[in-house]
Amino acid sequence: MGNFRTIVGSAIAGIFVMSVWGAFAAKYGIAGGWFAGFIIIGTAWFFNHCLGVIDNQAGAAPVDQALGIGIAGSMRDVFMAGSISPLIESLPTLLFVGLGGIAGAVCAAMFQQDLAKARSAAAKAQSEATSRSA
Amino acid sequence: MAVNFAIATFAGGFIFAFLVAFCWGPLVEKFGPIGGWLAAAFIVGTAWTLNHGVGLIHQSGRAWIDMAYAVGIGLLIGGIYSGANLARALPTAISAIVGGTLGGFILSCFLGK
Repeated sequence: MGNFRTIVGSAIAGIFVMSVWGAFAAKYGIAGGWFAGFIIIGTAWFFNHCLGVIDNQAGAAPVDQALGIGIAGSMRDVFMAGSISPLIESLPTLLFVGLGGIAGAVCAAMFQQDLAKARSAAAKAQSEATSRSA
Repeated sequence: MAVNFAIATFAGGFIFAFLVAFCWGPLVEKFGPIGGWLAAAFIVGTAWTLNHGVGLIHQSGRAWIDMAYAVGIGLLIGGIYSGANLARALPTAISAIVGGTLGGFILSCFLGK
């Protein structure tokens, strides 16, 4: 059932993003695209991750709705062309977007660890200062 | 792909995945579910403006490569970097790929017809 939930949640998010978003951007430009992010991702995040339609188990590496959304966009164009060649042409972009994403997420994790270390060092220094003054 | 476009595309993926991995959780911790909507607008909406609105991510082919790939792939690998288990996530990851493919197929049934 968890896998079925994940399939349905990812498909719904992908369908919205890869049709409605472009329509907003085509009609209202940048403002429409920004607003589409708000209403589509906000709503999809709420059911997929806040309520947990996508089956992310404790201790497992996180599977974000973004994975299904990205696949939906590429596969839409593959199915519309009836051929895999559009995807082959797009592989360089996919490679650099993926590498950038990995670097960005790992960098964020490193920053989080570093900030947590700095905070605990500051808290320790403060508690030592209090115990000395007492 | 030319080197300049490759650099720009890498940077676009980096920025979006970094913002989501770094800011989304704390926003939800501070504001509850409303934080998720704030994140959707101010992280995803604003990053879309950069990556697709003005085109930091260069599209080398006809199949659309969304900035979502950066987060989908990045968070998975970032989670492994932080000590999360990949094997336990695999069924969900495969289901997400199946779901995305299903969504793409459904869209192809009416778009451009």
